Amino acid sequence: MLLKSTFVPLFTAIPARGHPGKLSVSSVRNAVAQRCPPTSRQNGSSNTTSLLLLHKLPPTSAYIHLPFCRKRCHYCDFPIIALGSSSSNPGDDKDDPRILNYLETLCREIKATKLDSSNRPPLETVFFGGGTPSLVPPRLVSSVLDALSYKFGVCSNAEISMEMDPGTFGEGKLKELMNLGVNRVSLGVQAFQEELLKACGRAHGVREVYEAVKIVKSCGVENWSMDLISSLPHQNLSIWEQSLQLTIQAQPTHVSVYDLQVEQETKFGVLYSPGEFPLPSENQSAEFYRVASRMLRDAGYDHYEISSYCKSGYRCKHNSIYWKNKPFYAFGLGSASYVDGVRFSRPRRLKEYMDYVQNLENGLTNCSEDDIFDAKDLAMDVIMLSLRTADGLDLKSFKEAFGDSHILSICEVYRPHVESGHVICLDGQGRTIAVNEFLSSFSNEFWRNEKLAYLRLSDPDGFLLSNELISLAFSAMAP
Amino acid sequence: MAAAADFCRLNLVSSSNTPNRLLNAANFTRPGSLGLNEVELQFHRKNYLSTSELGLHQKRRRGLRVCCQAAGAGVQPKTAPSDTDLEFAARVGKDRLLKVPSSNIRNFCIIAHIDHGKSTLADKLLQMTGTVESREMKAQFLDNMDLERERGITIKLQAARMRFMYNNEAYCLNLIDTPGHVDFSYEVSRSLAACEGALLVVDASQGVEAQTLANVYLALENDLEIIPVLNKIDLPGAEPERVSREIEEVVGLDCSNAIYCSAKEGIGINEILSAIVQKIPPPQDTAERPLRALIFDSYYDAYRGVIVYFRVIDGTIRKGDRIMFMASKKDYYADEVGVLSPNQLQVDQLYAGEVGYLSASIRSVADARVGDTITHYSRKAEESLSGYKEATPMVFCGLFPVDADQFNELRDALEKLQLNDAALKVHIPFQEEFLSQKPQVPWDLALDVGFLVFFIWKFQERLEREYNLSLITTAPSVVYRVNCVNGDTVECSNPSLLPEPGSRRSIEEPFVKIEMLTPKDYIGALMELAQDRRGEFKEIKFITEIRASIIYELPLAEMVGDFFDQLKSRSKGYASMEYSFIGLPSLIVIWARNLNCFLIDTNLEYCTKGSELTLGAFVFSKLCIHIVSGDGRACIGSKVIASEAISAIRKDVLAKCYGGDITRKKKLLRKQAEGKKRMKAIGRVDVPQEAFMAVLKLEKEVL
Repeated sequence: MLLKSTFVPLFTAIPARGHPGKLSVSSVRNAVAQRCPPTSRQNGSSNTTSLLLLHKLPPTSAYIHLPFCRKRCHYCDFPIIALGSSSSNPGDDKDDPRILNYLETLCREIKATKLDSSNRPPLETVFFGGGTPSLVPPRLVSSVLDALSYKFGVCSNAEISMEMDPGTFGEGKLKELMNLGVNRVSLGVQAFQEELLKACGRAHGVREVYEAVKIVKSCGVENWSMDLISSLPHQNLSIWEQSLQLTIQAQPTHVSVYDLQVEQETKFGVLYSPGEFPLPSENQSAEFYRVASRMLRDAGYDHYEISSYCKSGYRCKHNSIYWKNKPFYAFGLGSASYVDGVRFSRPRRLKEYMDYVQNLENGLTNCSEDDIFDAKDLAMDVIMLSLRTADGLDLKSFKEAFGDSHILSICEVYRPHVESGHVICLDGQGRTIAVNEFLSSFSNEFWRNEKLAYLRLSDPDGFLLSNELISLAFSAMAP
Repeated sequence: MAAAADFCRLNLVSSSNTPNRLLNAANFTRPGSLGLNEVELQFHRKNYLSTSELGLHQKRRRGLRVCCQAAGAGVQPKTAPSDTDLEFAARVGKDRLLKVPSSNIRNFCIIAHIDHGKSTLADKLLQMTGTVESREMKAQFLDNMDLERERGITIKLQAARMRFMYNNEAYCLNLIDTPGHVDFSYEVSRSLAACEGALLVVDASQGVEAQTLANVYLALENDLEIIPVLNKIDLPGAEPERVSREIEEVVGLDCSNAIYCSAKEGIGINEILSAIVQKIPPPQDTAERPLRALIFDSYYDAYRGVIVYFRVIDGTIRKGDRIMFMASKKDYYADEVGVLSPNQLQVDQLYAGEVGYLSASIRSVADARVGDTITHYSRKAEESLSGYKEATPMVFCGLFPVDADQFNELRDALEKLQLNDAALKVHIPFQEEFLSQKPQVPWDLALDVGFLVFFIWKFQERLEREYNLSLITTAPSVVYRVNCVNGDTVECSNPSLLPEPGSRRSIEEPFVKIEMLTPKDYIGALMELAQDRRGEFKEIKFITEIRASIIYELPLAEMVGDFFDQLKSRSKGYASMEYSFIGLPSLIVIWARNLNCFLIDTNLEYCTKGSELTLGAFVFSKLCIHIVSGDGRACIGSKVIASEAISAIRKDVLAKCYGGDITRKKKLLRKQAEGKKRMKAIGRVDVPQEAFMAVLKLEKEVL
């Protein structure tokens, strides 16, 4: 089982190269926190802390939203701030005032965050998402990292990821970012075809994609992800296979494949209906998903989450926090945090966000107003998140937290899907339990306790029906 | 002579009112004379027009050449009638209940394709004859049901009695509306049988459509006088001459006297009314014979029972008569006899040639079916009128209440609808005592409902709208005939009725012949569609240079569901179709290999070579069988099928939970789960309602 935090040593190698500049300062500040024997607490949280208490732990992850883009992609409905072409030339010394102001507010938000003084573990993962974070000058990224270090501390071996778009960074910028501690790059390639990139309204072309890959490699970013979108308009199977082939050739350690979601308020939402020309039909999209799963696994990638693949040991630690339903901070426009069991989304409009930060500083904001703890709700979160992963739902801890009756009813609703192979049962050693054994024994509590350890969705067919299957489990939870 | 006749009538208008109306009358006639032939022009010149005015006309005629040259001597009015005409008409219309000699009765119907403006034309006729006053005019008066008016198509037919003054004589015109949809050819044939003539209304910007053609042939078979009318000449794209030529070529009807009209603008309406009087023969005066009246429509009224619409062919019917329906052998007292104008207006009697309604506290529509003959109980006619046919639903589907508690409501609603609509057949497979207990197994609540081919949505919508039920509909299936080893044949609409595998010899499938009329650009797309649906190519012919008729034979099962939608979407809405059953005898025999599920099996065989689309559709029907048949997964066959089935229906991947924001997704999933909870009421349903809906293509947005 890859569940536990066994890959930590792999990452320790990177910061060990030494961080000149800012982080070293902050690492001094964190020294105390880091020296506290981290293993007992951190490992303890994933192994033994009840699912009921997991979210009460202080977060060790932070998501930072850097919303700037050159322009809005046609499929995108995230909270972004489009800068126009003015900031498209990398290496421009003059900082855009919009970026400057935003980052200042962002740092204020970090500083204004209330902390439980008694327990203050340093951050283990930081994720810069966007938007296009790579448009933000490294100097300003550094200020955010400083603020984080000052407030929470950042582990020396923390995973610090940044989403970067081709054409928005050069070797110099990436080097600078790496010096700040960024050690994982998520490259938003989306497609390898000029016409598809154009159709998506991406601000870059294929040439920039190859350049970006070259830069990432020449800078020695060891851990990097290539992000692709499937089911784009006019995409067909051979185009999709070509994209996957080129992805594999680029040898990223991680690949994310997102199926296009046509959102109503986007240009795509106006132009297209899902499943209708020029978008691929549902069956074609399903086929794309299967092909991606097959090709990437054949190329040695582990399909560890519905839309994520990685080489052994390169799971995205930050995203894994989400799937494990662990708490995390979030800062910035429209970002969603999960602290003290409360999921909170910040305002998506800049003005409102500014006001929110102002109120936060004045102590007027109360994030945890509707803090009514609902175990069923929590259980649903756990189901929904863990079934996204190849590890699946850990029935043992689930039972401890929520009771055996839910497990029985989930087994019951999943019975036909176990039979059809969409749901797979695993024992404590991660071995597949034969369908017949499951069918004949699942109603036996003793067998469930002793043998049945995990439920997961099969790859790719179970994953393909994840909505269906997860909502089925939901309905079993709330009869 | 149409225009001339019209002139006389307008002359009457002026004489019966103030003299200065003459100007109006002349104004109105002038455009009418533009297209007249030489004889008629002389008639006008002699009587009313100076030579110089004629010269003016000739000048204008050149200006209007496009319009005029087409039909040569057609009637080309240009302006709408004035208010004074309407006032006069309204006065005449008030007398519409007065009797006229049967030689002054004209019974006619309108044959038109959907959207060619039949309802609008009918409205205008009612308005122009003062039958309906402008202020009470709802758009499309003939479409009685809300549903129809909303959708702008006519499902149920209605009738209207109008009074029209022509040559100082009062005429009684009965318009019998025909349903405009491809599903109702029997009803159309009965409506036609109640008439002596028909207006053939064709959209001057489009042309003859398949369904129009089929109905014209029906009318010709019934010896109806057909008056071609080109509607929508006010549209910029109108090409009346091309369309006239097309009618001549395709139908073989002389269009030299075709009337150009625009029902919307009120152009040409008087010409049409005059032509009806002139050309359509009066009914025979057979009032002394024993009563025979043809039912051309009936509907169920919650308070008065079934209301029957009929045309008296022979004899006389009076209020209070004891009447008998010859096919159903039921007898009743006619409590109320009246005419439709278009509202029901009571009269004391109706004699041969007239059209009216009666109410006799009839309990079920099945007692007074369309096509049946009404006669007197005491003085029976010797023979019933020909052409009566039993309704045989061809398509079946299962209906479930989403909430099992609503089952009894659903059953009641369906029973009521069944009284209301003879085309609906509900199979209620339960005993009363069974229902008195709480049903143990939810899918036992499935009701098998038989429909005409395309009208499933209508029923579902009516049930949901009128009875406030939420329903789950399975994909429609058809009746298969199973030949047994012992020589028996069993008709199955539902796999659970299927005989044991060992006793089956073969299974036959109903076929239809379809004729698609399409602009030539879409021939390829439509042939592909028909091929995909296991169609067997029969014939293609060009009816004009740009329009073709394609004939295929294909299984009925392939046509239910979304075939019609596909036809429309692949031809950008230009193609039309007509189908007829070729019945079971000419069927392809399909051997069932899988013992449990012949539909699955036969279809799968095809699926492997069929298109993706077809595969999807069949997969649905498989799942429906899964539910309908009731014995769960045994019926669905192997796992592989099940897995195929679901993934073909929906690719259902969770989207990126961006930045850990899962709230939106969770909401969505909870909603989906909510739907599941409702589904639980009907048992092991693996596919949500959307899936079925998708097959039926009822609506894009569900839930």
